[in-house]
Amino acid sequence: MAEEPAALGNGPQFIRQEGIAAPLMMDNVDTDIISPIGKPPNPGATPETRAFEPIRFFADGREKPDFILNQEGFRRSSIILAGKNFGTGSSRSVAVSRPLAGGINVVIAESFGPLFYDNSVRQGLLAVPLEGDKIERIAEWAFANRGQTILVDLQRQVIEVPGLDTFEFRVEPRVREKLLGGFTVREELSRLDEEINVFAQSYRQSWPWIYRR
Amino acid sequence: MKRRDFIKTTVGAGVGCGFIPMQSLFARQAAGMTMYDKIWEAHEISYLGGVTSVLHVDRMMLPDNGPAAIKRLLDAGETIRNPELVWAVADHQVSTSPERYTNRSLNLGSVADDFPEMKEQLAAMGIQAFGIDDPEQGIQHVVGPETGLTLPGMLMVAGDSHTCTHGAVGCVSWGGETAQNVLLTGTVIRERARNLRVNYTGALGPWVRGKDMILHTIGALGADAGNRCAVEYAGPLVRSLSVEGRMTICNLSIEMGAATGMVAPDDTTYEYVASREFAPRGELWDQALAYWRSLPSDNDAAFYRDETIDMTDVEPQVTWGISPEHVIGISERIPAPDDAPFEKRDAWRRALEYTKLTPGDTIADTPIDEVFIGSCAESRISDLRAAAEVVRGRRVAPNVLAWVIAGSQPVKRQAETEGLDRIFRDAGFDWREPGCSKCYGSNGDLVAQGKRCVSNSNRNYVGRQGIDAITHLVSTPMAAAAAIAGRIVDVRRLMAGEIV
Repeated sequence: MAEEPAALGNGPQFIRQEGIAAPLMMDNVDTDIISPIGKPPNPGATPETRAFEPIRFFADGREKPDFILNQEGFRRSSIILAGKNFGTGSSRSVAVSRPLAGGINVVIAESFGPLFYDNSVRQGLLAVPLEGDKIERIAEWAFANRGQTILVDLQRQVIEVPGLDTFEFRVEPRVREKLLGGFTVREELSRLDEEINVFAQSYRQSWPWIYRR
Repeated sequence: MKRRDFIKTTVGAGVGCGFIPMQSLFARQAAGMTMYDKIWEAHEISYLGGVTSVLHVDRMMLPDNGPAAIKRLLDAGETIRNPELVWAVADHQVSTSPERYTNRSLNLGSVADDFPEMKEQLAAMGIQAFGIDDPEQGIQHVVGPETGLTLPGMLMVAGDSHTCTHGAVGCVSWGGETAQNVLLTGTVIRERARNLRVNYTGALGPWVRGKDMILHTIGALGADAGNRCAVEYAGPLVRSLSVEGRMTICNLSIEMGAATGMVAPDDTTYEYVASREFAPRGELWDQALAYWRSLPSDNDAAFYRDETIDMTDVEPQVTWGISPEHVIGISERIPAPDDAPFEKRDAWRRALEYTKLTPGDTIADTPIDEVFIGSCAESRISDLRAAAEVVRGRRVAPNVLAWVIAGSQPVKRQAETEGLDRIFRDAGFDWREPGCSKCYGSNGDLVAQGKRCVSNSNRNYVGRQGIDAITHLVSTPMAAAAAIAGRIVDVRRLMAGEIV
């Protein structure tokens, strides 16, 4: 195994995750499903189980048995497998921080809601876009091999599923650099401080009507 | 390597927040430019590889905690970059009760006090801030365009997801940004989206409006159709809409999964913008206008995807499920999961289980408990006028709790000047103060547990408006009609006297 690079910044670092992958094979898992806000927490929820409250618990706090993270072999999952448009909806940061608090560090999906995606980059949850048929194969494997782990490696940009296959994925170079280095967004931007200053000055000259009367 | 060279030569798997064959990205090099690309490039400070760049922000819009966030930074000795490009308004945490001005504890946290306390300090920095006592307070996506703080050609960002609304005036706008990052750097890091154009053809039938156009579009294309796309709404039908109608369409871009939505500016836009408080005047106006006229997509601009939506015979729309894509015309029947495309059957089953509807039944005549008229989707004066036209001389059905919330104080004052508030009150509606309210269950404004609400807002997600609350998204006049009838009805039939 490669040596762990030390974090260079003060932000969340992600290098690799070895863990159980839980198939939540739905499309359009929205942010009100992942992390409802403005309502009292479910009586059954703990700080670790607040993510997915509406599909995890009945209103009286009992667990819904059909929810994947309530099932034997998947309770300790750290990777979610999903369909299209995972995290569609609102910009709320708890849509990422609550899954993280429950130990979910990776979501592999066909596509992501844009605001969930941005939050994941900021908070250090790895959102991996992958083709649907590949996710299906991993999901089938996960059901057949309950409790066994897969490896998601950001350095090599691969998902290794023992006895099944190795799947390559690609994230934006900037996302990879940010997460491997453990940078905050501010740290990323501070390197560009001079460039930003120069731009801002000429911008003010060129577009005076932007600046309020 | 220059960005365009990189884009040309990069071929590979998915990048960013969706899986895309890389070769299909930016198939536009030789062609003209889209409006989105023009605005993107005008704001591009630094290219970071892939499709990611650092962009200059023209407007940062802060919500309720804006003053507190600024205070924290200043107390820590930080400097706000471009403070005169920042503005704030209290909307999510404010109470919509008429008593909120005197009983200030009705408002969540310290929002009612932060704005007045910080007012002078913010003003000295050039930051415009509207608290509950200010005559321009309201929902941020109503206030921005209304005050002229939102202008064509801008890159406008905020935290709130419905920031895409502002694209209706011909700018690029999105939510999901963190206040601190933008306040300190005046920039954002973003991945460039692909260009999706939605062309509307045909004509709108009676009582069919912008809301029905966008709901029908999401139904036709899917709630993920806009994934990694910037959507430009185009065509003669869009041109014929007021800027307010365009805002409703752009508002639900995020419900289509899009990074943003926009409408190219035209004379309708310039006329709308011209009189606004913060719009440029005199020479600056001429300079701005000349630039704005260059913004519309070039005729030979290449779009990653082009869709046409024919509005001929499209009825008023109503959602039956838990995603905005679960939508049908008012005279249609609730669909059966078995009729869904294979991959959607489970979702449809779950949706119907949640909304307690039976396939084969008509959506019309479904009994309801509550009606909500408000939200950044449709709470502007033209929306309230349309609702009042339906309500005039009628009564809210017994046992229906119906609210009307003007999108801003100016909208509320205008409505009161026109006597619309009397029409609503006389009919039995609650006429409340501007804020986000039941659209997402803010500050205790919730749909009661398990109740069914007809709402002119933008999200019908599970539990969105309250625990186990069921939401049917409709246009404003359709919501008004439901309040009168006590059930989901066709506003056209109500107005024709066919429903009493």
